[in-house]
Amino acid sequence: MKQFDVIVIGGGLLGCFAARNLCRWKLHIALIEAREDVCTGISRANTAVIYPGYDHRPGSLKAKLTLRANARFGTLCEELDVPFSRCGSLMLSFGEKADEVLKKKYENGRMMGVPGLRLLSGREARELEPGLAPGVRSALYAPTAGTVNPWELGIAAAENAAANGAELFLNTRVLAIRQIADGYRIETDQEVFACRVVINCAGLQAERVQEFLLPSPVHIVPDGADYLILDKAAEHKPTHIVQYEPEDGGKGLTAVPTVEGSLLLGPSERENEIPFAVSEKGLAFVRERTESVLPDLDLGEVIRSFAAVRPNPQKGDGRSIVSFVIENPGPGFWSLIGIKTPGMTCADELGFYIAEKAAACLGAEGNEAFCPIRKGIRKARNMSPEQRGAAVRENPDYGEIICCCEDVTRAEVLEAIRRGAATLDGIKRRTGAGMGRCQGSRCQQKLLALLAQELGIPEDAVTKDGAGSELLGGGRHED
Amino acid sequence: MKTELLIVGAGAAGIAAALSAWEAGCRDILLTDRRECTGGILPQCLHEGFGLAQYGAELTGPDYTDRITERLEHTGVRLVLGTEVLTIRGDKTALLSDRSGLTELHFERLILASGCRERTIGSLPVAGTRPAGIFTAGQVQEMMNLRGQNIGQEVLILGSGDLGLIMARQFVLTGKHVIAVVEKESRYGSMARNYHRCIVPYHIPILYRTTVAAIHGEGRISGVTLRHLDSGAEERLACDTLVTALGLIPERELVRGLGEPDWLFLAGNCHRVHDLVDSAVAEAEAIGTRVGGEFA
Ligand SMILES: Cc1cc2nc3c(=O)[nH]c(=O)nc-3n(C[C@H](O)[C@H](O)[C@H](O)COP(=O)(O)OP(=O)(O)OC[C@H]3O[C@@H](n4cnc5c(N)ncnc54)[C@H](O)[C@@H]3O)c2cc1C
Ligand SMILES: Cc1cc2nc3c(=O)[nH]c(=O)nc-3n(C[C@H](O)[C@H](O)[C@H](O)COP(=O)(O)OP(=O)(O)OC[C@H]3O[C@@H](n4cnc5c(N)ncnc54)[C@H](O)[C@@H]3O)c2cc1C
Repeated sequence: MKQFDVIVIGGGLLGCFAARNLCRWKLHIALIEAREDVCTGISRANTAVIYPGYDHRPGSLKAKLTLRANARFGTLCEELDVPFSRCGSLMLSFGEKADEVLKKKYENGRMMGVPGLRLLSGREARELEPGLAPGVRSALYAPTAGTVNPWELGIAAAENAAANGAELFLNTRVLAIRQIADGYRIETDQEVFACRVVINCAGLQAERVQEFLLPSPVHIVPDGADYLILDKAAEHKPTHIVQYEPEDGGKGLTAVPTVEGSLLLGPSERENEIPFAVSEKGLAFVRERTESVLPDLDLGEVIRSFAAVRPNPQKGDGRSIVSFVIENPGPGFWSLIGIKTPGMTCADELGFYIAEKAAACLGAEGNEAFCPIRKGIRKARNMSPEQRGAAVRENPDYGEIICCCEDVTRAEVLEAIRRGAATLDGIKRRTGAGMGRCQGSRCQQKLLALLAQELGIPEDAVTKDGAGSELLGGGRHED
Repeated sequence: MKTELLIVGAGAAGIAAALSAWEAGCRDILLTDRRECTGGILPQCLHEGFGLAQYGAELTGPDYTDRITERLEHTGVRLVLGTEVLTIRGDKTALLSDRSGLTELHFERLILASGCRERTIGSLPVAGTRPAGIFTAGQVQEMMNLRGQNIGQEVLILGSGDLGLIMARQFVLTGKHVIAVVEKESRYGSMARNYHRCIVPYHIPILYRTTVAAIHGEGRISGVTLRHLDSGAEERLACDTLVTALGLIPERELVRGLGEPDWLFLAGNCHRVHDLVDSAVAEAEAIGTRVGGEFA
């Protein structure tokens, strides 16, 4: 039996940041994740926005955390060496009713102390963002909004936690939890763990994990959301985050100029039958909305569509819950259930919030040795020609391009594998290889060979994202 | 570093351009390719059918490559393989990267012969999951013919262009089952020659006016939903591999945003997609002769 002070269940954004923040105390910490890598659940696909926070009820936990998180986000991303673009956002109005909504949001934001908010006329908005549809009447400009890549952020937090001593158990699924004399006994499909504090960050499964112990008063009702990605070379991309919520309610559109340089469009809203399955209606919806808000964009430049899963929290009576839900069903047991937007924005703050509670519960001492700094994989594409030349002289692998669309070198791929990428998607998330306009059709076969070689496994054991997703051989072998 | 003529891409077009520029009198030519060998896409094309006009014989891709590469050896064209051209700038400099370092190269003229890339399924509004087991036809051709990688067994092919049909035949000949070729138009998209050589003799079904509406399977692909475009009817079909042949896109990202400067020339598939190597070569030769003549 493995013994820890604290066990975090679930290696999504929330679990990774909980683990990172727990390291600020002298604690023996484990992070347990069912899948082959971190950030493969809800955190693998979202709108990528770091919200300014003008939407929340002043005084609420969400409002407090979002405001603080946003102000600190630049520092956080410097600590973790994660690209962050504070590009600002424009929330648009195309009608009188929406003008009023924006005014309310503006007032609310000002009351909360969201910095730099401005109400713009349609003309001013179009000066900032010339590609907006002419019908724009007014806009709420929030200069502190930004964007980050969700999995880069989560992976960075996990690496930082590990560097500070947290132990990461991948491919380990929690199957049962029992309260014991001085804490909890956690059974997994690998081994048995014991700990004094449990932090349940199991995302879509958070309700189930809590129910290993006690019935959960909160239910997660998942639904789906579809997104499109436009090639970074596409013209007329906005340089700000553009948000639109229609007058009649209903789902709007968010357009995000990503840190990779592509444009993310979405999300649609719909019932979701299969997790992470794209719906045709959803895609059509995103296209339609885009055409009406950003008419100059060429949707022929779409290189990928994908789906996300939203964990909507509801009370027993079916009413949805707006605030962040943090359950405390037993002593030293906390559950983060149904944390959706702005869960990524607040991930580090939520992690700290929960770590503080855990530390207090355990009477833990502060850890002066905690180091918040993590270094990312050095990306050739971000280097100046001089730096890049030097990098190749030092390590010839920096001269060999593996993914030509995204300009990813062999050195980056090998480093990603060294840091734990065990699948094609793991490499993609850590390096960007395969994310570009040819969608991996020119580099997958090379990555496959590299993975096999580095992991010492046969090529037909290499997977896209875990067991069952083998790239070679197909389902049946008749040879 | 400096060169009079830089040629990016040592496929059929790049080599042809280099040969004729040399013959026209240019003596300072640098021919680069990211691959470790010459020929571009040709070495992965094991079928016969290359060079009828030029050599009076239907050669395989590798044989054709050998012939043109050999001609190159009799010239003073500098061939640099395993080298990626990272950027081209408006002041006529290129940034080259290989394992020995990063090189800034000044050139007088540039012939871009960078070929094309394949349109992928990501650009289509296809519903469903995004599992493993989906490849482009050219990718599969490279995997099977150059890397010895076995892609799957029960194959559905989306798109009936040349590449799709050539691969359909190869799948059959290597013991895989081609469930069908799915095509949204009412006629195949390939040259008639490939239809008669690759599809007819093997009785491979082509479903016209049909498309893939959704992909199923978690982990590995387990099937698709086909939609018959005229009736709107849908049916589910099991497969473990989906190969897409959705068309080729000229690869000109290197010069995107540069406009049409007088020092830039496009040859071969990066200019327009050529069905036959002979036509790509003829185009490249004309350009090579013209550009090379400027330095005679
Ligand atoms: C569509 C959408 C858009 C969003 N956009 C934004 C945005 O723009 N800005 C923003 O700030 N926030 C956004 N969010 C919110 C943010 O993405 C989420 O709050 C966050 O990703 C939730 O992460 P998580 O760690 O709770 O869940 P997950 O990422 O799902 O992590 C849970 C992990 O637990 C693991 N697990 C489950 N069961 C077990 C078990 N029994 N044993 C071991 N491990 C287990 C899972 O494998 C998974 O890896 C968005 C969310 C959605 C859905
Ligand atoms: C599957 C298939 C089957 C075919 N079958 C036949 C046939 O039977 N008969 C026939 O006559 N024709 C056939 N063709 C057509 C003909 O072969 C092609 O049109 C021709 O070979 C294209 O040559 P290319 O030089 O323009 O392009 P490519 O062969 O694609 O060469 C382009 C080269 O440029 C390199 N490159 C690109 N960008 C960079 C960069 N930034 N840095 C360095 N290098 C770079 C690439 O690596 C590549 O090697 C077929 C084509 C295909 C795809």
